[in-house]
Amino acid sequence: MKGFLPVFRREFRSAFGSPIAYVLIVVFLVFTSAWLYFVAGFYAVGFADLSSWFGMMPVVLAFVVPALTMRSWAEEARLGTGELLLTLPFAEFALVLGKFLAAFAIVAIAVLLTIPVPFMASLLGSFDAGVLAGQYLGVLLVAAAATAIGQWVSSKARNQVSAFLGSTLLLLILVLVDRLASYLGTTGTLADLFNWLSLARHFAGFGRGVLDSRDLAYYLAATFFFLYLTSWTLGRRKWS
Amino acid sequence: MIEAKELRKSYNRVEAVKGVSFSVERGQVVGLLGPNGAGKTTIMKILTGYHFPSEGSALIDGIDVTEDPVAIKRKIGYLPESAPLYPDQSPAEYLDFVADARGLDGSERKAAIDRAVAACSLGPVINKQVEELSKGYRQRLGLAQAILHDPDILILDEPTTGLDPNQILEIRSLIRELGKEKTVILSTHILQEVEAVCSKVLILNEGRIAAQGTAEEIGEALKGESRVAFRLRGRARGTGAGAERAAKAEPTTADIEAALGRLPSMGALRSIKAAHGSAFDVEIALQPGIAESDPGALVFDWAVSEGLVLLELVPHKLSLEEIFVKLTTEGGRE
Repeated sequence: MKGFLPVFRREFRSAFGSPIAYVLIVVFLVFTSAWLYFVAGFYAVGFADLSSWFGMMPVVLAFVVPALTMRSWAEEARLGTGELLLTLPFAEFALVLGKFLAAFAIVAIAVLLTIPVPFMASLLGSFDAGVLAGQYLGVLLVAAAATAIGQWVSSKARNQVSAFLGSTLLLLILVLVDRLASYLGTTGTLADLFNWLSLARHFAGFGRGVLDSRDLAYYLAATFFFLYLTSWTLGRRKWS
Repeated sequence: MIEAKELRKSYNRVEAVKGVSFSVERGQVVGLLGPNGAGKTTIMKILTGYHFPSEGSALIDGIDVTEDPVAIKRKIGYLPESAPLYPDQSPAEYLDFVADARGLDGSERKAAIDRAVAACSLGPVINKQVEELSKGYRQRLGLAQAILHDPDILILDEPTTGLDPNQILEIRSLIRELGKEKTVILSTHILQEVEAVCSKVLILNEGRIAAQGTAEEIGEALKGESRVAFRLRGRARGTGAGAERAAKAEPTTADIEAALGRLPSMGALRSIKAAHGSAFDVEIALQPGIAESDPGALVFDWAVSEGLVLLELVPHKLSLEEIFVKLTTEGGRE
């Protein structure tokens, strides 16, 4: 399993050796700040509640994360470097984990760089540090699941563009599926299923600063499920 | 050291390798030779654990490639058909990554990288970007990656493609050097390459082995194809005066044919062609057995007695090239 480290280091350096990581971080920061100012109308509302700001994070991540993960496996396949990685003495899961951690680290940096926003906002009122920590934990968990999903789509895609479109679509569905359920007026088990699947529904608790172990388990399970699925996809090619 | 038993591999119901068996001893340099689509690359992908066989098995040091691929991958250095490089890295960064992934640390890593860089003459480009490198340098960087961890087994898929003639010679001598201690399997469609570096040849055609052995053994298996070719002209003007059967200074094709009728029987006349300078090129397919009894001497004595001047005399063994064409186009198996 130690094989993930070299891959992690290479991916992380490569992202910061090119404009990709910087562009992504800047876009994320500009977009989230602008949202807070213009859309959420935070300063107009006049009281210290950031829950609507955190509430839109899953949607933003559904666009930003695929921009980062679209390259991961699709580009290795195009360059032929996948053949190098897969003939290094590592299990597929180690490679998948290395790539995942590198991409997640970059998204996490982008997310954590927004911390000045609530700090500035705290000049207007007092925030509960615990609630804030819970909200950030939630965003990071959504980001982890989204990264794992994006990389899985990239492992199935023929090129970066289809990887981007495919994972954005999948993530948006997963984020919005609970709203779809209420919009369609679905009830019963189907609605439960939609709610259970929703990336946003499980985030709601975190957004209010409430930590529920079921939500935590949902994100961790989703992340590992898609990491495993990616490694299975790569492993299965040997037999194709 | 390497043993393939009845390997078969299908991609989407197209069978690329159709039951291939061979074995490779430690220290052999084995060439896989065949036209495109013969199954060379597929066999290499199976041996490296990149693809698993549909049927049959491949053992490396007694370990099945499907059972412990990680152990197999540790023993092997692999250069795929197109060098697997990241365009946004420099060769130094790339080799550092591969060394990291191969578990080389500290001074060991530095020594390994220095050795590979020197062996593949990468010094001048070590800090350039891979995307700026010529095809030749890319290929050599791919090779450096394969030999970095000093593996026992090297699997090189067309290692000299895209190189200029000097680089090809360099890489071949490097492979010969490596072959003294390591087991090397390389694929190529360049026949001289096999003759230059390989101790054993597998000729593949349409997923099957058409012939295997040393280059000489394969030639031997297809005997009866030796030929002798020679170039003649009439004796130069003024010097042929004493000759009893006075040859003309400028003989015609008919004269040569008549003279050939007096040549001791050695095989079938293949062709007589007029060459420039009123010379003639003659080619004779030798009968089996005659090749060992100095047909050259017979031709020489005959030419002297006919008053002809022998300009060239070339004994032709069936070259690997001709064997290759014979085996892979006539669909013939030995």
